[in-house]
Amino acid sequence: MPERLSPSDDLGRLMHAAQQGDSAAYVELLRTITARIRRIVRRQRGFAGAADVEDLVQDVLLSVHAVRATYDPTRPFVPWLLAIVRHRLADAARRYARAAGREVRIDEDDVTFAELATNEGSEAAGDAEALRAAVRALPQGQRQAIELLKLEGRSLREAAAICGTSEGALKVATHRALATLRRTLGTNRS
Amino acid sequence: MNTDDLIDRLATDLRPVKPWRPGPKAAGWLTGAVLYVAVLALVMPGRGGTGGAGLSFWLPQLAALATGVLAGVAAFASAVPAYPKHVLVWPAVAALLWLTTLAAGAPWETEAIVAAQHEWRCVSFILAGGAPLVAASAAMLRGAAPLAPRVTAAFAALAVGALTNLGACLSLPHASHAVTLAWHGGAVLVLVAACAPAARFVLGPTRSSPGAARASTDRSTPSRPR
Repeated sequence: MPERLSPSDDLGRLMHAAQQGDSAAYVELLRTITARIRRIVRRQRGFAGAADVEDLVQDVLLSVHAVRATYDPTRPFVPWLLAIVRHRLADAARRYARAAGREVRIDEDDVTFAELATNEGSEAAGDAEALRAAVRALPQGQRQAIELLKLEGRSLREAAAICGTSEGALKVATHRALATLRRTLGTNRS
Repeated sequence: MNTDDLIDRLATDLRPVKPWRPGPKAAGWLTGAVLYVAVLALVMPGRGGTGGAGLSFWLPQLAALATGVLAGVAAFASAVPAYPKHVLVWPAVAALLWLTTLAAGAPWETEAIVAAQHEWRCVSFILAGGAPLVAASAAMLRGAAPLAPRVTAAFAALAVGALTNLGACLSLPHASHAVTLAWHGGAVLVLVAACAPAARFVLGPTRSSPGAARASTDRSTPSRPR
């Protein structure tokens, strides 16, 4: 990596001070190297998004923090830092390769069907007031069959007992009522 | 957490650190390891009888000692970023020399290798006897948080294997180099194969510093460039 960060003496001095617990020197050092690390990461990982680049930068900073005791102030700072950057980039590449091997890309499906008629139909079925009016307009026997079987959810036997008719007659009334409702509401779905 | 916040947090948690120098660390560990293996070899009930052994016996032992020392130095040196890569070459050369002196010392004798059931003692000497040395090296290397933990651990395990092999050979000398090569070499390979994959979890860089690990866990929030 040919990147030259800045005179390594300055950075080395800052890191040496940080090793002795100087927080201000540490902040100055980290802020100085962050911009340069970001530039290196962007150049090496041109395809990565801004958030991914920033994750890598933070990864490098965490590594610098974790291994700061290994910096030898008598040696140049930049090669030490670039070795960390190189390792972290390689680790990130390996993580990316592993994740890519496990993931399967799929096309995004539409939330609803694309056909206009389908969506319009669902909107029409949602017109509750029109449905209530159509039910009220049904003949007495058909209306009662719909109310008991479809709205109250009773069984055929219970509904027949309440109406005082046979189950067969109730089925016929329900069938006719549904046909009337379809005609009234203007839909013709089976 | 954005990057500026991370920097502030790292600086807030900052504590003075004692510089981690690979040379003195390696010297300390090697001294302790050699003394430990010597004591172990003396304490272990063995056959003895190295007094009449010639060059064919001592040459592999010297090569094993060189492998152990150089691999130990390489393990500690590789824990530091931007270490000179040639430190990894020398233990490899010494290990090759070790294998060569063993392989050249005697023809391959499959029946003798299979029949040498007493070699389980040597295997346990290398594996069980080497376990405290592995633990000690791991404890010392954690302070450096090596960036390539598997490489570091492989060389540390090679150092432990070579030194304990030396102790086993001195404690229980073998007539056949082929037996030594198969059993001791196998045990050293097992040690390296076990330590290298585990190193990622034991020596991983962000695990050595509680502050860094804490900050690392906080990075679950999306980061933004500043």
